[in-house]
Amino acid sequence: MIEKPMTPNLPETDDQLLVRMRRGDDQAFVALYRRRQAAIYRFVLHMSGSATVAEDVTQEVFLALIREQCGYDPQRGTLSGYLFGIARKLVLRHVERGRSDVALETDMESSAPPQLMVNDNPLTDLIDREGIEALRRSVLALPRRYREVVVLCDLEEVDYGEAAFVLGCPIGTVRSRLHRARALLLEKLSQRWHHRPGVGALKPIRCLI
Amino acid sequence: MNCQEFWNTMPELAHEAEDGHLEHLGECSACAALLNRQRTLASGLRMLAADWRSVEAPARVESRLTAAFLGQAGLAVRRPAARWWVPVATWAAAAAAVVALAVFLTRDRPVVPAHRTSSSGVQLAAVKPPEDLETPGDSSDADNDFIPIPNAARIEPNEDLNLVRVEVPRSAMIALGYAVNEDRASEPVEAEVVLGADGLARAVRFVE
Repeated sequence: MIEKPMTPNLPETDDQLLVRMRRGDDQAFVALYRRRQAAIYRFVLHMSGSATVAEDVTQEVFLALIREQCGYDPQRGTLSGYLFGIARKLVLRHVERGRSDVALETDMESSAPPQLMVNDNPLTDLIDREGIEALRRSVLALPRRYREVVVLCDLEEVDYGEAAFVLGCPIGTVRSRLHRARALLLEKLSQRWHHRPGVGALKPIRCLI
Repeated sequence: MNCQEFWNTMPELAHEAEDGHLEHLGECSACAALLNRQRTLASGLRMLAADWRSVEAPARVESRLTAAFLGQAGLAVRRPAARWWVPVATWAAAAAAVVALAVFLTRDRPVVPAHRTSSSGVQLAAVKPPEDLETPGDSSDADNDFIPIPNAARIEPNEDLNLVRVEVPRSAMIALGYAVNEDRASEPVEAEVVLGADGLARAVRFVE
């Protein structure tokens, strides 16, 4: 009896799905979309702060793929990198048009509960939900060139090489921008902490319970 | 190793410090404190990323894109020979649905016999726009949105959709709540129609 070699059922690569998609296979398109849409959507949401912009740009990115407008060449980079690159250009266009009014920012500023705890180290706040939200707002407030490296490398875990491809700059530039971006984030978090109503303005009071 | 050399050679926060770095950290409390803060920040960023991992585009984006893909594929790509009848059947169903839609939108109000006056209210209600219908005055984006066809089935998430572009008389817009100049009522207007998997029209958008 001849035994068949065991071949693991590996998922298709992006490029294989793209080839099938180009032949008109809608299932391949859906599979590719489901694999990549969330990262693109989150990238735009972090960059713009607007769910409307994120939805529009995500749709435009994949429409460009459908219409073969992206000029994707597998020899030059990954499909994921190309999609991030298109998303980046589109979100910058939205920002330039002034359509990216940080909706999440305003929503959450008004609903954020006042901080009453006084802590010696602002960074220890990062472990709670308010701290994470403050960090998200600080990322959103970074200058664009620093925000995009933080979102790509730290939040979407894109490697430095691919980030350099997306941003069209050398890897060294990605590293230095990331270093500077983290320093700016620490600065912003410290400023935010020092301007909280609980710091300096409140004094410990007697517990009545 | 001085402070400059330390930071020049240690940009990766996730990596463990090497011997040379550890030695410097033991000597320089400022660098040790800064590295500690940077590592806490990196940890916070990882938590933010994990917090957002479930965030994704709304399901309607996939529906729209799938319809666009099918529209594009139907026009530009040849299907395999073994399934040649699939696009033919799809487009035949689409054409039938478009004709039905055009008839529905352009027909005159039914002549109600004298002995059936009680049913006229029902006939009018059938073409009344639904409650959630966006009319041109509702928002600035209304012209770009698809309007659900009255009494049509809802579009389900992940449903296979087709998009076809047709010409209908401008008077058809009246049934969907648009104001139309009577002098131009007979002029054609381009519309995009979303067809469900059953080939029936679900929503319409006027292009002009």
